[in-house]
Amino acid sequence: MPLRDGLFVDGAGGRAPKLLGSRCRETGAVYFPAEIMNPDTHRTGTMEQVEIDGRGRLVSYTVVARGLPGFESPYALGVIALDAGPSMIAQLADWDADNLKCGMPVEMTIGTIKTGKDGTRYVGPKFRPLDERTA
Amino acid sequence: MSARVFVVAAGATSFGPMPDVDGHELARQAVCAALESSGIDPAEIGIACAGHAYQGPCFGQKALMKIGLTGMPIVNVENACASGATAVQTVVNAIRAGQAEVGLALGAEKLTKPGGGFLPIVADDLESSMGRVMPAAFAMIARLHMERYGTTPEQMAGVAVKNRRNALRNPRCHLQKAVSVEEVLDAPMIADPLTRYSCCPVSDGAAAILIASEGAARRLCDAPVEIAASVLNSGLRTPYGIVDDRSEMSIRAANRAYEAAGVGPEDVDVCEMHDPFTIAELVHYEDLGFCAPGEAGRMIEEGRTEIGGDVAVSPSGGLLAKGHPLGATGVAQIAELFWQLRGEAGEYQVPGARVGLAHTVGGGVTKLESGACAVHILTA
Repeated sequence: MPLRDGLFVDGAGGRAPKLLGSRCRETGAVYFPAEIMNPDTHRTGTMEQVEIDGRGRLVSYTVVARGLPGFESPYALGVIALDAGPSMIAQLADWDADNLKCGMPVEMTIGTIKTGKDGTRYVGPKFRPLDERTA
Repeated sequence: MSARVFVVAAGATSFGPMPDVDGHELARQAVCAALESSGIDPAEIGIACAGHAYQGPCFGQKALMKIGLTGMPIVNVENACASGATAVQTVVNAIRAGQAEVGLALGAEKLTKPGGGFLPIVADDLESSMGRVMPAAFAMIARLHMERYGTTPEQMAGVAVKNRRNALRNPRCHLQKAVSVEEVLDAPMIADPLTRYSCCPVSDGAAAILIASEGAARRLCDAPVEIAASVLNSGLRTPYGIVDDRSEMSIRAANRAYEAAGVGPEDVDVCEMHDPFTIAELVHYEDLGFCAPGEAGRMIEEGRTEIGGDVAVSPSGGLLAKGHPLGATGVAQIAELFWQLRGEAGEYQVPGARVGLAHTVGGGVTKLESGACAVHILTA
C-alpha cells in the first residue's frame, strides 16, 4: 500500500509515475509535498493539485548500512533536485555503490520503502540513477 | 538593553547507558548537584523549565517534586536536540522579564533501550518515514562538503580523535577510550562516509543550571558567569532540508549572539557545540566564524581547536564522546562553560578562558533546514 495517500500516481498503461504536489495559481510556484496554502505568500485558497515529472539530478547521497526494522538494508538515500523545481530526499532504486555521483541524472520509480511488522509493503517514490548518455 | 542575567550554579550526571535509573531520578540528581555545589537554598527558585524530547507529560513537575520544588511556574519545552538550550532561554527570558529573581533550567533524556540504535522514525515526517535517519542526513552533508571543499574522511575522523582524547580527562563522558584516525575509518560503516566512531553514542543523562538576575547573582554566587547572549531561532524552508554544506540558521543565530554580546568569533576561548557527527563540528567551525567556509578541514588538521589552540572546541568531549541525551545536552553545554569560565574544569580546563560559546541545533523536519538553533555566549 502507499506509504501515504496523495504522494504519487502510479504509472499505468506505459505512463511514467508522477509525484503529486501543489501549484500556486497566483505565483506559478510548484511545491512537493503538497501544501494546503502558499507558505511563501502566506495566502490561502490559491493552491491546486499538480502532477510533477519524476526526472531530476542527484544532489547528494549516502548508503545506510543497516536501517531501522522494516528497511531492507543496505539502502541508498539521495537528495534529488527535480527538473520541475521542487527537491526531495528519497531512497534510490537499482543503485550500485560504486556508481553514485553527485549531479548524476535520476528518474522516479515506485518501489518498496519499508515493510511493516505484519508484512505489509509500503511503496512510494524511489529514484533510479540513469546513464548520463541516455537521460 | 536587556537586564543582565548570570549562571550561578551547575550540576550534571554522567552521560551513558543507565538502564536502572529513570529520567526523573537523573533529573533530580542533576538539580541536587547544582544546589549542593552552590549552597543555594531551593526556596530561591522562582521559575523552572525542563527541556526534553521524549520523557512524557509534566516531566519537570515529576522530577522537581522529588526535591520538594512545587508551586512555582514550571514549563516543559521540546525542540528536539535543542530542548535543553530552549529551556535555558526560557528561564533567561523569564528573569529578564522580572518574573523571578532565580530560575532553574533542567534538561534530561533517557535514550537507551533494548536494541539501542537510531532515534525512532517520526511517523508524521515524510523524509523520516522514508528512512532518513540522522546519520544519513549528516552523511549527505559530508558528501557535499567533501565535493565542494575537498574535505577528507581523515579530516572528519580528526574530530573524533580530538573529542575522544579530551574525554579521557572528563569522567562524565559515555565514551572513555581514545581512537586513532585509522580506527575511525575502519570502524563499521553506519551511513557512508560516517562510521560508528563518526557518530555520537546513545546515552542517558541530565544537567541543571541556576540562572539569576544581577542582584540575586551577587548575593548568591562568589563568581557568577554572565549570559551575554541567548539566541534562539527556527530553520528556514530550504530546497534540500538539512542537507547543505553550511547551516544558515547557525550562522544567523551566531551573528545575532555576537552582536548582542559585543564580541566576535576571534574572542571565543572555549566552545561547546553541536557535534553529534564529526562532519557537524567541521561545518559549524565555519558557521560560527572560527574559520572561513571550506577551511574547517585545515583547522582541525592544524590543531587549532585543541585545548591550547585558537579556540578550544569540545574540550568536554562534546556530543561525540559524552553522548547526546537530547534534552540534557543544551543545559550540559552551559554547565561546562560555567565551569570553564570559573577555572573549575579540572583536567580539561582551557587556560585563561574568559569567553565561551554554546551552540546546538535540533529537529529533523522535512523541507526545513532544522527545527531550532540556539547560541549562548557566556563571559567571565
